[in-house]
Amino acid sequence: MNAPLIEAVGLSKTFPGKGLFRKGRPVQAVKHIDASVARGEAVGVVGESGSGKSTLGRMMLGLMPATEGSVRFDGKLVNDASRAEWRRLRRRMQIVFQDPYGSLDPRRRVGDQIADGISIHGLLPSRKRERRVAELLNKVGLDPAHAQRFPHEFSGGQRQRIGIARALSTGPDFLVADEPVSALDVSIQAQVIQLLGELRRDLGLAMLFISHDLPVVANLCDRVIVMYLGRVMEEGTARSVFARPVHPYTRALLSATPMLDPARRARRILLQGDPPSPSNPPSGCVFRTRCAHARDACAEVVPELRPFGDAGTRVACIRAEEIA
Amino acid sequence: MKKLWIPGAIVALIILLAIAAPILGLADPVRQDIANRLAGPMAGSPLGRDEFGRDVLSRLIWGARTSLGVAFASAIIAGVIGTAFGLIGGWFRGLGEILTVRSMDIILCFPPVLLALLVVTLMGPGAGTLILVLSVLYLPGFARVTYAEVLSARSLDYVEAVRALGAPTWRILFRTVLPNVAGPVLVQLSLAVASAVVLESGLSFLGLGVVPPAPSWGLMIRGARATMEQAPMLLLWPCAALTLTILAMNLLCDGLRDAVDPRTPAGRRRLRLVDRVFPGLVPAPAPRSDAVLEVQNLTVEIATPRGPIRPVQDVSLSVRAGETLAIVGESGSGKSVTATAVMGLLPPVAVPVEGHAWLGGKDVLRLSEPEMRALRGGPMAMVFQDPMSSLNPVHTVGAQVVEAIQAHQKISSAEAWAKAEELFKRVGIADPAKRLRVYPHEMSGGMRQRVMIAMGIANNPKLLICDEPTTALDVTVQAQILDLLNDLKRETGMAMIFITHSLGVVSEIADRVAVMYAGQVVEQGRVEEVFGNPLHPYTRALLAAVPEGEEPPLGIPGIVPPPHNFPVGCRFAPRCRFATAACEAAPPPLEAIRAERQVRCIRWHELTPTEAVA
Repeated sequence: MNAPLIEAVGLSKTFPGKGLFRKGRPVQAVKHIDASVARGEAVGVVGESGSGKSTLGRMMLGLMPATEGSVRFDGKLVNDASRAEWRRLRRRMQIVFQDPYGSLDPRRRVGDQIADGISIHGLLPSRKRERRVAELLNKVGLDPAHAQRFPHEFSGGQRQRIGIARALSTGPDFLVADEPVSALDVSIQAQVIQLLGELRRDLGLAMLFISHDLPVVANLCDRVIVMYLGRVMEEGTARSVFARPVHPYTRALLSATPMLDPARRARRILLQGDPPSPSNPPSGCVFRTRCAHARDACAEVVPELRPFGDAGTRVACIRAEEIA
Repeated sequence: MKKLWIPGAIVALIILLAIAAPILGLADPVRQDIANRLAGPMAGSPLGRDEFGRDVLSRLIWGARTSLGVAFASAIIAGVIGTAFGLIGGWFRGLGEILTVRSMDIILCFPPVLLALLVVTLMGPGAGTLILVLSVLYLPGFARVTYAEVLSARSLDYVEAVRALGAPTWRILFRTVLPNVAGPVLVQLSLAVASAVVLESGLSFLGLGVVPPAPSWGLMIRGARATMEQAPMLLLWPCAALTLTILAMNLLCDGLRDAVDPRTPAGRRRLRLVDRVFPGLVPAPAPRSDAVLEVQNLTVEIATPRGPIRPVQDVSLSVRAGETLAIVGESGSGKSVTATAVMGLLPPVAVPVEGHAWLGGKDVLRLSEPEMRALRGGPMAMVFQDPMSSLNPVHTVGAQVVEAIQAHQKISSAEAWAKAEELFKRVGIADPAKRLRVYPHEMSGGMRQRVMIAMGIANNPKLLICDEPTTALDVTVQAQILDLLNDLKRETGMAMIFITHSLGVVSEIADRVAVMYAGQVVEQGRVEEVFGNPLHPYTRALLAAVPEGEEPPLGIPGIVPPPHNFPVGCRFAPRCRFATAACEAAPPPLEAIRAERQVRCIRWHELTPTEAVA
């Protein structure tokens, strides 16, 4: 594997607690996470709501300051980059949002919004911008004549394509896709997954793909990080994690995913209850309160993420060997 | 645009007249002519003369110059500075907020006239002083309106997107945030101009504004008041000018706000009132079948400004006791409209114009509202997608379940509460007695959905309709709810209709499935048959689009056609790989292949390998 383009080490994010009269408990959204993405590689981040997966993506992009930890982009530490340096970096890292309705400015023509990235960074003289916008629209499968329209004239899938075209306008190396297909219908979802796969192949993008939809991640990504309550439970190649999940949480998650093909359906491991609140996580292993394999020892130490097996999988479970 | 035309023309005319005053050849507005004091209309003075014999028309037009000049100048100054303050305060928060927005609150503490008096005493009366006073007075309004709008805009995805593009702050503020807060600011501007005209007149009337003999509407009213009994018309002219200006200005700004917003629909006309009488007053005899619900040829019509649309057309379904029928389709397929029609919960503009829906020998499409109410929550119940908005936030969940029970069963409160506890236990809520007394917001999404299900089964329904009940939930919670629904169906033997867009969920929960596309059922049958051996090209394409296994998912090109633009022939034809001219010519019928298996495609036979059909 070639050297990572972007590498996060020990990232943590704590949101201060809110309260009217006394300070509430701080919310630990992300705790000590390492993540890296190489050029041309797609890394999936999966987890349920509240797992901190979106926060991780925002921190890697520098859109949200990390409480702890460092991010290295293209070999350079970007934590304390100046504003001017950040502005230059922005050209190389972009984001695609989940909600195709909220992510476009309703008052401006889509062509102008796509051209924003080009004009902000002064990438092209203004007379050439129109052609570039047409090219970008073409690349995401839209009619270049649509540049003159407003967002409300498009369907959800088309808006998502516009969002992707906008992200590509600066010619980024690193793309964070935050649940880009969750709000779309199945037939449209597949179109966008196809498009993202093609772009990654053709442009050699490094992609962090945040999703709660395991089959989509299995299909699109090389590696996958499974998060629960702000911590990594398991990581490894998508193939091995989905074929032979080790961590009890990964197994439960996979078994809960509705599958079309009855043969593919694993015996359901039903998790009891709801995920605990991130402002009051359980001691030790955060998953132990819902885990069928939990022992007293699980409450005592926070299990570290350690290599397991020979497929490059890493897992944070002290009982991985016993239950595998 | 029509809304803009008339007020626009009036405002333009008034401004034009004011600007053109020097070249209109009007009489000198300050030249006195005591001989013609309070004269009526006369040659050269169509509106007569005032108490000093000055020409009223001339003073009215010259007065407009002063009044409007002061009003516009102060509103614009206040608007520019106030908006800037609001932008800074809302975007940077912290110290910026204190300096800009909070400081404005101090101005609000002063009564306007007092502030004006203070400034006039310090600086002496005159138009310049007036502008200063009025701008300061209107500043807080602009700052606060902008501040509130910026606060809500700054967390939106598209603002974050421009940040991610690396836009400098000024660019974000001016290109993205400002246009999106412009609507309310424009309205504020119209209010400020209108009230500045009034306040200017008021202050001039009190002698705190424009200095006589310079003409102004306020001064004119002041002068006319003294001679009200001799020449009442003198009071009318400046008042009429004031009223007309302000009305036109407000209308113009309303129109402007709508015009600059590209999202405003082209025509927001009221919907035509459709009072369609149901066809066939004598009801058809109920079919003899073992189905709990039998829907026959249901068509729903909605009257829209563009003409009637039919989001559901010719839909036939049936579901037996102890059976789960899934209705699957993408957004716009009409699956939810079908269910709401059966529940009698369609909005007034949507009318079931054809078909029947038989439930226990009654056609629920033709029942009166009181009869429907007796059915809803009783023999047929519904569970919705979003439990948060379906539960009342100000009552405990227990009270809501008890209410649902007592709506259909005549039992005492104590019995109803005991029954509610029983229900909570049944839907897997731990510690039911305690959980009955909590409010919806204290529960997680999964728990709230369990409460909704408890309410649904409270009166032992024969039919439970679930409209995307797990879409808003995490997969592990979704699995719990699906298992719960399956258990309940097995225990009670009720029939269940499960509406979803997820083919995986269908495969897990349903016995039979109806695939809908663009308002029609395109294929129906047992789940393992439809998914194992799909006959309709849409069903196949949909299955191929599901990301599962090694194969990359295949998208279906194009989009679902909107209801006002359904194709004449097969509605899937424009996106279908196998479409021929015949497909586009006429709508294909829903063909029954064998018992419980139907498909709406004229080419299904030639597209399916023969051994698969047998």
